[in-house]
Amino acid sequence: MTTAISTKNLYKKYEARYVLKDLSLNVEKGSIYGFLGQNGAGKTTTIKILSGLSIPDEGQIIIENMDMHMEADKIKSIIGLVPQDSDFYNERTALSQMNYFARLKGLSKSEAKEQSEILLERVGLENEMTKKVGSFSHGMKKRLSIAQALLDNPKILILDEPTNGLDPVGVRQVKQIIRECNDNGITILVSSHNLLELQEICTHVGILKSGRLITEGAIGDIRQLESNGVITVGIYNMSPEIVSLVENMEYVVDTRLKEKNILEIYVNSKTDVKPEINKLIVDNGGQVFKLIENSLSLEDAYLSATET
Amino acid sequence: MNISKIGIVTLDEMFKGVKSKHVWFFSGALAFICFLAMRYSPSLPFLFSDPSRIPYTYISFMIILLLGPFFILITAFDSISGEVEKGTIRYIISKIDRESFVLAKFLFSFLIFTFFALVVAIMGQMYNYQSFSTFDLERMFLFWIFSSLYIGCFTSLFIFVSTLSKSSKMAFTMSALLLGITIYFSVQGRTEYLKYITPYHYGFAVSEIMKNTYEISEYSTVVQNLLSMLLFIVATLSIDVFTFKRREL
Repeated sequence: MTTAISTKNLYKKYEARYVLKDLSLNVEKGSIYGFLGQNGAGKTTTIKILSGLSIPDEGQIIIENMDMHMEADKIKSIIGLVPQDSDFYNERTALSQMNYFARLKGLSKSEAKEQSEILLERVGLENEMTKKVGSFSHGMKKRLSIAQALLDNPKILILDEPTNGLDPVGVRQVKQIIRECNDNGITILVSSHNLLELQEICTHVGILKSGRLITEGAIGDIRQLESNGVITVGIYNMSPEIVSLVENMEYVVDTRLKEKNILEIYVNSKTDVKPEINKLIVDNGGQVFKLIENSLSLEDAYLSATET
Repeated sequence: MNISKIGIVTLDEMFKGVKSKHVWFFSGALAFICFLAMRYSPSLPFLFSDPSRIPYTYISFMIILLLGPFFILITAFDSISGEVEKGTIRYIISKIDRESFVLAKFLFSFLIFTFFALVVAIMGQMYNYQSFSTFDLERMFLFWIFSSLYIGCFTSLFIFVSTLSKSSKMAFTMSALLLGITIYFSVQGRTEYLKYITPYHYGFAVSEIMKNTYEISEYSTVVQNLLSMLLFIVATLSIDVFTFKRREL
């Protein structure tokens, strides 16, 4: 697989605080890369740097084999950006806005008009083309934002929290558009807080914590990274000794007491370890009433990675 | 820098500007003040050394020198900070380079006021013709060039403030402060060199040429001040571009 976006040792600081520290990420061509992280982790800063809205203090950015430092204009021409917290000229119509952005992308007047109409139709705004953007709902503006990012057939689409503030219908529409774009060969980098959405559409994930990329890879690998799974054990006479003994088992990564009698055990083992856990608990006076193994969700992996 | 993209942004700004009541109101108001001054100046003959030869071009030039910066302040202070505040800047800068954007913003204000200066220049010549049955095209041309450049100097200064400001409110306050500082620098006499960094100095230096009684023979003064204003604009615009390129969006 070739790399569409690659950053090497990226640093960025605001005043005295580093918001990105030694960030090196790799987005494979044709993938949907989910960019996860808590608020303030540095996701938006990274996206701004990748799209030329911000300048890193140190580090290298290679996009489609071009160095951002040397060929920023060429890179801009192959990237479509859906920024967060941005607005349009509210007094203008959707079509006039799209025409303007299309012309800025270097399209001729006729190409601009043609592409604008096609893209507005593609995002479901064909009946709103001549309406002023000021009258648009948040969801419609988001779709317009995606439409403008798709002008001039970008190779890479970067979306910063595209589903923020959308209702379930809006979220589904945006996810659908992202999938369609990816089916058409566009590499996608999307940041979001909604882990379930990312789990559904992403092929790869990177998790950012305090400006550092703590893990990155294919979504299946990420789920397996911290543990092979989670075993939920229900014990009638739970005691701290039992929890401590379980924690000290060789393949146990972490434990969490969910309720008074429910213990979640994160394990890293290729074999079935349930019988061994059951035996240890019973041998130490515990009465097991439930023993279930689940594979980790992206959310579990995310929480496990960011909470450590 | 991409010339065609500068053209697209400038044209779009003009398209917006033509529809903007704000732009029409302020440039119209300045033109109207010039008209009033020329129209009623014959009623105040004591103001002029030769009341039979009212210097209409000079009158309108003085109004532009004194009031022009305030009108530019009102129309240009939020040219970039307004886009940053609204968030529209991210859509634009993800498509074009920053130099082109700053230059396009400058060109828009510059061209609008150049057009306005031409209207005032023609108006002055009409009064001139009415009073003396003659056109003074050379003086009209000088008026037009110097008014435009003078306004261009202030436009580039206010764009500089706009590139630095986080909000339009801050841009307005800082621009007003900068205007105050330039006025102070140009009127105080102790540190003479300070006046050279204000457009007022170059504007007033050529104001005498706008009088009917003044023979346009000192071409060196004209050329010197013309080049100084051009240099001022180029230097300030370079700073604008440099500042905006470092700016976080």
